[in-house]
Amino acid sequence: MYAKEMLKQSLPLLIFCGLGGIVAGSTLGVMADILQNIPGLIVVIPAIIALRGNISTAFGSRLGSAYHLGIIDAENMWNDELKQNIIGSLVLSFLISIIIGILAYVTTILFFDVHPDPLKLISIVLLAGVISAIILTLMTIVIIFIVFKRGYDPDNITGPALATFGDIVTMFCIFGSAIVVEVIM
Amino acid sequence: MIYNWKKIVRFGLPLLTLCIFIEIFAGQMLHLGQKTLVVFPIFLISIPVINGVGGNIGSILGARLASGLHVGYISLNAKDKKMQENLITAILMGIITYSILAILIYYVASFGGIQMGIGLIEFISVILGVGVLLVCVISLVSVFTAFWSFKKGLDPDDIVAPVVTTIGDTLGIMLLFLFIGAVGI
Repeated sequence: MYAKEMLKQSLPLLIFCGLGGIVAGSTLGVMADILQNIPGLIVVIPAIIALRGNISTAFGSRLGSAYHLGIIDAENMWNDELKQNIIGSLVLSFLISIIIGILAYVTTILFFDVHPDPLKLISIVLLAGVISAIILTLMTIVIIFIVFKRGYDPDNITGPALATFGDIVTMFCIFGSAIVVEVIM
Repeated sequence: MIYNWKKIVRFGLPLLTLCIFIEIFAGQMLHLGQKTLVVFPIFLISIPVINGVGGNIGSILGARLASGLHVGYISLNAKDKKMQENLITAILMGIITYSILAILIYYVASFGGIQMGIGLIEFISVILGVGVLLVCVISLVSVFTAFWSFKKGLDPDDIVAPVVTTIGDTLGIMLLFLFIGAVGI
């Protein structure tokens, strides 16, 4: 049956993604003290997770389409098409991270009359955004390479895999960046 | 060459910026409820799970509807049987997933030595209440967005995922605070 097949294929994946969410959430739980010490930091969390999710799943699905179109395959992966995709994803991550930092700073002043340190906030988002972009881009390429080698359809695998690892990597990156910036600045 | 990094940035930037604007409001809601989240860190842990599962279900449903519309076994009609079957299965999947994950989060948190301040039954009621409402709204949004974009001649594959994840994140956090308030803690 149609509905049964959807349950059978998607339910285990959903629960697996949920387990990844618990790991990401626990990181957020450990961060509770830092979140209180750096005003405005909690504001960027949903935005930076969404940024990561949107950019890396788009990257993954473009690579999937490129595979179906025959532009890249396991033997011919590291070509110019892939490089253009990597540069595009990194530039987008860089630009959107800056926008997130500025928006979080401005709205926190407007809504709460709390004044975060703008340089600190933007540095944390930028550091976390760019580092998580590099890690997830490399991860996507490795996942795609394995998927190609085995002859699977990348469209079925990259989305959920990136959703699961993406949240965890992003939370670790925000946590790490907040500590680094807090120590330096 | 098909891909060009400047094109990837130019096409990605407007939709991403719009998503980020909305996500910052989700972040400000977290900011508003930060005190509750510090007193009950178990809800901080739950946030990536609530949002992740909701977004995934909306995206899976959207991708399935997109394929159905492209191939032609789903028609643009609110009474379409295949669409309704997909919608109901998605909601059912949400209820099962949130129930399992609520129990898991509770035990992970109590084994992790996190200060609880809430009973298992109360916690499951909050997560299930949020989860069921969220998954119903997200699934309806997913159907609407898929049908609307297909009707407009756009590819639902490009549009449904960012729309449902952004709406899901904002609504998920809003519903969570609503239900925490309703339980009276």
